[in-house]
Amino acid sequence: MATDEPSWYGEDSQVSQVRGRLFEAVCLTATSVGLVSVLVLLLYVARDAFRPFTGDPSWALTLPTFPVLGSITLVIPGWQLVFFVTLLLPITLLAVYYYRVDSPAGEVAYITTGLPIVGLLLAGSLFVIFAELFAVKAWFASVLSLAAAGAVIYGHRRLRSEAPLERLVLTVVVPIVFVLGVPPVSVARLVGLPKRVVSLQELILKLPYLPLPSLQLLSTLTLPVAAVAGWFVGQRRDSRTDGIRAAALVVAGGALGLLVEAVTGVAAPTWVIIYTVTAVPVAVYVEGIYRRNEGVSGLAFPVVLVGGTLFGVLTMRVLGFSGPASWLDWAYLTSAPNTTPELAGIYPALVGSVMILIVIIALTFPIGVGAALYLEEYAPSSGLAGKFVTLIEINIANLAGVPSVVYGLLGLGLFINRAHLPGGSVVVGGLTIGLLILPIIIISAQEAIDAVPDSLRQASYGMGATRWQTTRNVVLPEALPGIMTGTILGLGRAIGETAPLLLVGVAASVRLAPAGFFGKTGAMPRQIFAWAFEPKADFRYGVLAAGVVTLIAVLLVMNATAIIVRNKYQRDA
Amino acid sequence: MTQNEMTDSEPGIDSQTTTTDEAASESLLGTTEIADDRGADAVSSAETVIETRDLNVYYDDVQALDDINMEIPENQVTALIGPSGCGKSTFLRCINRMNDLVDSARIEGELRFRGKNVYDDDVDPVALRRKIGMVFQHPNPFPKSIYDNVAYGLRVQNMDVDTDAVVEESLKKAALWDEVKDQLDRSALDLSGGQQQRLCIARAIAVDPEVILMDEPASALDPIATSKIEDLIDELAEEYTVVIVTHNMQQAARISNKTAVFLTGGELVEFDDTETIFENPEHQRVEDYITGKFG
Repeated sequence: MATDEPSWYGEDSQVSQVRGRLFEAVCLTATSVGLVSVLVLLLYVARDAFRPFTGDPSWALTLPTFPVLGSITLVIPGWQLVFFVTLLLPITLLAVYYYRVDSPAGEVAYITTGLPIVGLLLAGSLFVIFAELFAVKAWFASVLSLAAAGAVIYGHRRLRSEAPLERLVLTVVVPIVFVLGVPPVSVARLVGLPKRVVSLQELILKLPYLPLPSLQLLSTLTLPVAAVAGWFVGQRRDSRTDGIRAAALVVAGGALGLLVEAVTGVAAPTWVIIYTVTAVPVAVYVEGIYRRNEGVSGLAFPVVLVGGTLFGVLTMRVLGFSGPASWLDWAYLTSAPNTTPELAGIYPALVGSVMILIVIIALTFPIGVGAALYLEEYAPSSGLAGKFVTLIEINIANLAGVPSVVYGLLGLGLFINRAHLPGGSVVVGGLTIGLLILPIIIISAQEAIDAVPDSLRQASYGMGATRWQTTRNVVLPEALPGIMTGTILGLGRAIGETAPLLLVGVAASVRLAPAGFFGKTGAMPRQIFAWAFEPKADFRYGVLAAGVVTLIAVLLVMNATAIIVRNKYQRDA
Repeated sequence: MTQNEMTDSEPGIDSQTTTTDEAASESLLGTTEIADDRGADAVSSAETVIETRDLNVYYDDVQALDDINMEIPENQVTALIGPSGCGKSTFLRCINRMNDLVDSARIEGELRFRGKNVYDDDVDPVALRRKIGMVFQHPNPFPKSIYDNVAYGLRVQNMDVDTDAVVEESLKKAALWDEVKDQLDRSALDLSGGQQQRLCIARAIAVDPEVILMDEPASALDPIATSKIEDLIDELAEEYTVVIVTHNMQQAARISNKTAVFLTGGELVEFDDTETIFENPEHQRVEDYITGKFG
């Protein structure tokens, strides 16, 4: 072979890959610049919020003089070192171990750490709900009335199975009558009607004797959870007895709260709530891990995490160190705004945001999913009507891009000036932001429904299913993970919206959590916006940063939930 | 055996239990060349279940079927063959009004099922599909358990039957019971392609339809799974009227009693006993298609 022959395999670079390489490099740079700048910003915010470099500089070591460098004074702040040794080092080592040796354990570690956090957040929201919105007894009465309504509907189904229309009416009407009365409380209040028929819920509330709050919670919260846990364990172990045993264990553990109160002074309702929504799911998960005997060593991670933290705190107590003067701490999360930065907190705004979120979910989920189902499953796709539907779809896509200020104006004009709802209230804020994210939810739900394979629909129709049966039994279950993911991502956007809140008169700072859904409310982004213009620098940097971190934490939890939901269903399918 | 089949295909004689036993022994023997043994007498003596009169189908302005006139006999296998795009699948979907789901489809003419035009205004397509089941080209089980898949039709049709028994019986008829009887709770998606297709057949027969439409049921399967499906179709023909679309001419020859040849333009060129079509077709175009000169 002559050496000046070009080789066919491109060794002498007759194949030009310069442009491709260049393109790759540009893309990589863009990605890194974007990620790094956001990361730096977040680090700054976190530094301002937590102030990790405050605290005691407890050990100042002066190293021996080196000829070249001169003497160096090394200041080692105490708490960082303590927590490095007790917490950071062990969990890093564990993480490395999971990564290199035992990867199933890594997943177990991830879930056993995340599950209690999610459970505690849930428990926290329940506390807030019971403290601010709903007395425990109102919850108790509502659940009992709903159960009674369920019993009535079930009884009707058994007695008159051949009356679907009647059943439908009953399914809608009975719960409303039982819980809200006729006409429903809120409607009566809005229209100014005196109430005629008292609901079952009110009757229960008027009973001369109601059980203790802890017993109310035990019967209406722990009991259903126990039933679910028992069913789950029974399924997993393929044994009814084991399931019943598990359920009994759950109830017994909840009942233990009454004893705990007497011994340690932890209020029994507190115990019941935390136990039911945090401890029970964790226990069910851990039981499964032990049974499968897969990645059991992952359970060490949360133990080390909690143990290390406690040990670190203890060490600091013993050595007399003080921790960082973080802006974001328990007091911040539980106190009201204040003119003194050190006393300022975000509690009313946090509660306000959560309540606004509840209104948004109640408004957008049924309407959004309903609209998406109609557009995808029912609406005509050809002819004049089809063109009209296409026009609607295009407009929904456009609405998703309308600036939020405009939605704020819409809310102001529609809900406050026309419907005369109280300005700055939870309802108005929720409805306005709800309108804003409705198009987003419709579009994402449409995509999820569209992704359900047509062959499944055809199979269902081919079996003689009606359109509604096909939608309910085949399309919705398949599309639900996608719908949930899209909805939660939309809600993530909703919780950060500020401009519409400004326009509908949500107050900058409120000292009390809203009294019900028609009460004046604050909201986290609105509060952060207000802090940004405070004259005191501590507000503009520290308190504001803590607010931002709280907001982002709520957002991250929501997004993580969306991802977990999606992964779970995708794995099952 | 042939004798038995012939009596079974006579209308009015209902001997389901013996038929199933026969079917079982048949599959044990593993015979595949049964259809050819079926005499022409059986074909001519069968009653017509589905009958079309000048059936025309258009998708927007494109004509997919052109004046189809056809009579499909009861308890026999009728194969529809022809090149791609010739309208055979469209015809199949007309029978149980699956084309209603396609907005652009427009149907003219009559298609009678047991004497009633299914495109009359007072016919509910849902009720029609409960009489005429369908199996699709690609196995499309629901992402539910095996049990729930078979029970789906019973549930949506609110049938007052012993679900467990019907599920077992249907899976047995579909020759799938022995493979899945211990794992009815498992997801249907864990089954192999051939098993999934038999599950889809079990699902279709669970609601006890009169006619089963099959749209190239074996085209996505390997030869072994295909031969199982073919055996199964043969057994099904003892109880049900089967209309099957296939691209595979050997398959049509093996399993069908009657064959309809559609050619480009949505035209039904020839419809006759399978033997006649394959050995002595009337039209030159049909012969060309069958011998592979075109298509």
